[in-house]
Amino acid sequence: MLLDQLKTIVGDKGWVTDPEALEPFLSEWRDSFHGRAAIVVMPGSSGEVAAVVRACAASGTSIVPQGGNTGLCGGAIPDATGTQVLLSLSRMNRIRALSPADYSMVVEAGCVLADVQAAAAEVDRLFPLSLAAEGSCQIGGNLSTNAGGTNVVRYGTAREQVLGLEVVLANGDIWDGLRTLRKDTSGYDIRQLFIGAEGTLGIITAASLRLFPRPGTLQTALVAVRDPQAAVDLFAVLRGRLSDQVQAFELISDRAMRYVLKHIPDTRCVFAEASPWYVLLEFSTSAAGEAVEHELLQVIESGLAQDVVLAKNSREQQQMWRIRHSISEAQKREGASLKHDVSVPVGAVGEFIVAAEKAILQTFPGARVVAFGHVGDGNVHFNVSQAKSADASHFLQQRDAMASLVYDIVAKFGGSFSAEHGIGALKRDALREYRSETEIAVMRAVKKALDPHNVMNPGKVL
Amino acid sequence: MEKILVGLKRVVDYNVRVRVRSDGNGIETDGVKMSINPFDEIALEEALRIKERGEASEVIVVSIGPSEAQQQLRTGLAMGADRAILIESAEPVDPLSGARVFLELVNREQPGLVLLGKQAIDNDNNQAGQMLAAIWGCPQATFASKIDIQGSTATVTREVDIGLETIEIELPAVITTDLRLNEPRYVKLPDIMKAKKKPLDITPIADLGVEMASAYTNVAFDPPEQRTKGVMVQDVAGLVDALKDKGLI
Repeated sequence: MLLDQLKTIVGDKGWVTDPEALEPFLSEWRDSFHGRAAIVVMPGSSGEVAAVVRACAASGTSIVPQGGNTGLCGGAIPDATGTQVLLSLSRMNRIRALSPADYSMVVEAGCVLADVQAAAAEVDRLFPLSLAAEGSCQIGGNLSTNAGGTNVVRYGTAREQVLGLEVVLANGDIWDGLRTLRKDTSGYDIRQLFIGAEGTLGIITAASLRLFPRPGTLQTALVAVRDPQAAVDLFAVLRGRLSDQVQAFELISDRAMRYVLKHIPDTRCVFAEASPWYVLLEFSTSAAGEAVEHELLQVIESGLAQDVVLAKNSREQQQMWRIRHSISEAQKREGASLKHDVSVPVGAVGEFIVAAEKAILQTFPGARVVAFGHVGDGNVHFNVSQAKSADASHFLQQRDAMASLVYDIVAKFGGSFSAEHGIGALKRDALREYRSETEIAVMRAVKKALDPHNVMNPGKVL
Repeated sequence: MEKILVGLKRVVDYNVRVRVRSDGNGIETDGVKMSINPFDEIALEEALRIKERGEASEVIVVSIGPSEAQQQLRTGLAMGADRAILIESAEPVDPLSGARVFLELVNREQPGLVLLGKQAIDNDNNQAGQMLAAIWGCPQATFASKIDIQGSTATVTREVDIGLETIEIELPAVITTDLRLNEPRYVKLPDIMKAKKKPLDITPIADLGVEMASAYTNVAFDPPEQRTKGVMVQDVAGLVDALKDKGLI
């Protein structure tokens, strides 16, 4: 009955029930989460989303919204009951407005991030959000998880790119908040509630986004450093002297580098001699190419950096980024791994990595720490591969124990156990453990106010 | 041999989406990332390897182009070239004029080998190397994917349509390089700084006394026609109908 209703709402192109065709929607690419659903609906407009929500709410059926399904915490995967409706925003992929003069654009939730970037570039503007999955992740998912990525140091997270939202609420109302204002103090800033809420408060169907001037030519460099602390110090010095020119500041351990060179085709060694740690640096050089070279030379002379290779063309820039973006893939080929997407204050990144690695090796002898991440914003992907000869499934059973160990150390540094991947189904316990009762109570109050019947992605976040 | 002469052309970086200038008189280069022509970078890498094997003693990089081409020459010097010559020309230089400029430099420098990219990715002419060999009266080996120098002989593997061809030529000669010849090295910052002190000689093209050919003029620059979006057809009958609709059959 509900299924027929839904099929009528979204039309022939808008639904999938064939089990084989459903499969790609029901598990994550890293294979950690599998769910079941009787139907995937793919509405073509906000009105259809609203009608789907109303129909589901009337029958007490809960809804799991999904974008490009590139998540890592199960936030967009339905539960195992098979009773939930999966709502894919993929067909809502129009760019509704593009205004270079206003430095803004309005896009639908199903737009692929790379397409949004390209549309902005087409009118000589920059949409700065950039992350490894940008070729398939969708803007709705980016906002719902408050995604981060590699440009946060200069432009902030997904949240900071949002001027306004259009959201379908749990009662089927459409909130049109697609304003493009920079200044707006008219009451509660309710758009912020939906960003990072992972679809538990409503379904983001469109967003007005902030655009930036395109930076001048980008220079990319790989810097060899002695240890993570040197990387942190290097960041402080360079950002101080070059200010907003620093666009990306990514830490890569030698182990991560070796795995990439070993497993990923078309990658090659940048330095003839290995260094224990590397930093991938990117800065815009509107008028200051020489200044950047001068500053980098100074950090070599002061001993903060051991050596620097500057990409001399875009091919080399791409080669350097390919190393950074291939780490997860390379680590997969080294066996099972447990991942911890955490953040600490920028100044504490060095100490955190050393302390956490020491603790891991004490408790899990032979485990191989592969740490990398966005030092410029304090986000560390503290990933651990199984010991070489160990049994993969036994290693994976230690997921919770290892997570507690890492998160406890994160907490000591005043950090977060979830930097940019969200909570999803994976980290709900951690949320309860590491956030105060007061904070959780506020979250519950918000959830109850906006979704009293718990139809919006239940079982996620809270 | 004593010297190798390498050509380095300043071109729009291969990864930049090229746009026609608003006045329709050429390609937009303002604020656009410029790099060494990739084939030329391969030529320089090969010259450096030949020198490092002890088969040459000096690598000279040459560019014909605007004053800004000094950047590309400095990059060449940072890779390891010993000195650089810029033949300054605000206007683009066609392949035959370029070949004549090189011939003049060949006469001055007397290199044992001239290494050039097989073509520049801006105009894709693929002519300068062949023309230089002809007016110099020396052998040429084009599209090189492997170069082996023994005394005054070069054994060169060429990438041709039917496969690989290996030829032997006497030096001095012109060799033009193909993509698979080598992978150019990265440059380290200290080498970039050192390169700023290496000699870079600038000569206005008019001072060379070389006759500028003007065998052709540019008539117009147009961007390629925008492709319209494709449509999916269900079956052969659908395809036939679609073609009929468009009046194509």
